[in-house]
Amino acid sequence: MSTSKEGYVQYHYRDAIGGFFEFPTENAKAILPPELQPIEPHHGSSVLSVMAFDFHNSPVGDYGELILSILVAPRIEHGQPMPRSAFFPFRLGTTTRESREHAIERWHLPHYMKDIGISWVRGDGHITIHSTDSGEPIVDMTVTEHEWSNVEHRYQAFMNDEDGAYTSTIIMAGQFSENEEERGGITIHSQAMTDLLADWDVDVTPFRELWMRNGLQTFHPLQTLASYAKR
Amino acid sequence: MASRTETRTVMNPLDYDYSSFFYSSSDDPFAILEPYNEWYNAAVPEGYYLFAQAMATPPDGRILLTEGKHHERLKLLNLSSYNYLGLSSRAEVIAAAKAALDQYGLGAAGSPILSGTMEVHVQLEEALAKFKKKEAVMVFPTGYSTNVGLISGIMRPGDWIIADQNSHASIVDGAILSKAEVRFFRHNNPADLEKKLQKAHGKKTLVAIEGVYSMDGDVCPLPDLVAVAKKYGARILLDEAHSAFVYGANGRGVAEHFGLEEEVDMHVGTFSKALGGQGGYVAGSRNLYNYLKGFARSRVFSCALSPVVTAGVLTSLGLAQREPQLRAQLWKNVAHIRAKLEENGVDIGQSTSQVIPIMVKNDRRVFELGHKLLRAGLYLQPIIYPAVAKHRSRFRVSISAAHTTEQLDEGVAILVKVLREEGILV
Repeated sequence: MSTSKEGYVQYHYRDAIGGFFEFPTENAKAILPPELQPIEPHHGSSVLSVMAFDFHNSPVGDYGELILSILVAPRIEHGQPMPRSAFFPFRLGTTTRESREHAIERWHLPHYMKDIGISWVRGDGHITIHSTDSGEPIVDMTVTEHEWSNVEHRYQAFMNDEDGAYTSTIIMAGQFSENEEERGGITIHSQAMTDLLADWDVDVTPFRELWMRNGLQTFHPLQTLASYAKR
Repeated sequence: MASRTETRTVMNPLDYDYSSFFYSSSDDPFAILEPYNEWYNAAVPEGYYLFAQAMATPPDGRILLTEGKHHERLKLLNLSSYNYLGLSSRAEVIAAAKAALDQYGLGAAGSPILSGTMEVHVQLEEALAKFKKKEAVMVFPTGYSTNVGLISGIMRPGDWIIADQNSHASIVDGAILSKAEVRFFRHNNPADLEKKLQKAHGKKTLVAIEGVYSMDGDVCPLPDLVAVAKKYGARILLDEAHSAFVYGANGRGVAEHFGLEEEVDMHVGTFSKALGGQGGYVAGSRNLYNYLKGFARSRVFSCALSPVVTAGVLTSLGLAQREPQLRAQLWKNVAHIRAKLEENGVDIGQSTSQVIPIMVKNDRRVFELGHKLLRAGLYLQPIIYPAVAKHRSRFRVSISAAHTTEQLDEGVAILVKVLREEGILV
């Protein structure tokens, strides 16, 4: 069990990949709480983050996870460590019921309520995931590698549900590669988990590709927010 | 099982950049200043001192510059300035500026639509309209204010603006100010432009593109972009900041180079690059000119361009027309340095112009390399994220007709030596 007494929870992963895709901000604002500001790499364009994890040695064993998030402005406060970026996850899919229930209860993360399948295809300099629901494709995504370095990056996640609004700091430690070479790609299939994306006009090429491996994800204790971000 | 990760994150200033400090978490707009300055003060000695170092000479091939780390004055070879035709310090240009100073005084002392228009402004607009073969030219105080005033002057909420994703900030800011719907198409990609145009559903649409892109030095595929824009009835703005007076048989820019001067609706350019001065312009129809006179707010509510600079630019324009050998020399210099760089295996990206990126592709090393180049006698500006994509950091070389072959060879020799010593070149 990887949960510490202080409320820090650890999840070890073999691979974690991510792609950042531009889409119109009007679609982002339609689902973001009003207190959260979408990051715009270009005026009028927000960022859809699609991430996939291949976890092992977690509080809920081995499992796979597919996360759809919107990049939002982090909370920056003087004297506090700065997050690298911040996310508002709006839909997650997991390969096991136990991991799904854990994430809902512990982190208030909004889930697609069926088990999904995630297969990983590791190639020479690239990695691909195929995610499915009862054999029907959800998302296929490929990212490519750049130079690898050992990092410890700090992120913020903002969550909300009917009970309230929350945030947690997430530390990602391990091998890390990112690039903006526009060599990766995504296919988002028409499916219940991706129904929100149907009219979003999401770019099919990621402007940034991330790949982490042999790493450790640490969730800091959940904080309840009066509002997401005073700004 | 690994032990719990420390909650403290050691702040390496190079893990962050300007884009990290756009928002704060406070109701006080000044709350961002302290965390920003904490980062900035740490980032300056790590490499940010390489930006905005003060020059004590004209932006010629050899300069004196006060280095930003130790505040030491250095004599350097300059491959950083936009002075493409070498006109900034030409004797005729300086003489014209001095004469205008005597005739008009230092400033225009008024908006161009009120008391700020002087005879020299009218002369410049007329001379440039004749050169560009357009009905009218409107002069703005800066290149930035040209796009801002032009785009926000003619586009309205509900209209669509579709711009190349690598567009200059002035195009982006003009689009934001107009409150039109804004979309960006993938760089130099006519197919993606068409995809975006299809989304506009017949709304009034402007396509904004550039002749030469300032970070990569690549030229837009104008014929393909124009064909797509015309297919959907969109108006076309072509910003030739880095290509006017340089490209085309007569120096009228990329539009002339491709034989598409009539197809482009608005020709934007600046006086701060090839003409070595300051200011910007839009060339187009008389109707456009008349409308912008009332609606280009960045011009209406700015003091007119200084008559001193205007007179210098007018003389530069005449020299650029009368001396086509300047363009010929520029292209000879470009060919020479490209051959030398390629011969040494230096990665210059997709550049085909006088703007040549020296690709480093290592965001952490580029400052260290910039420092070593400076100490070796070469002034080159590092370009990093967010000005360019992550891990596409580079130095930007700007070639001038005034560079000598010896200067270019010396620059390449320093560059190659430092890149080799640092393992960027093998």
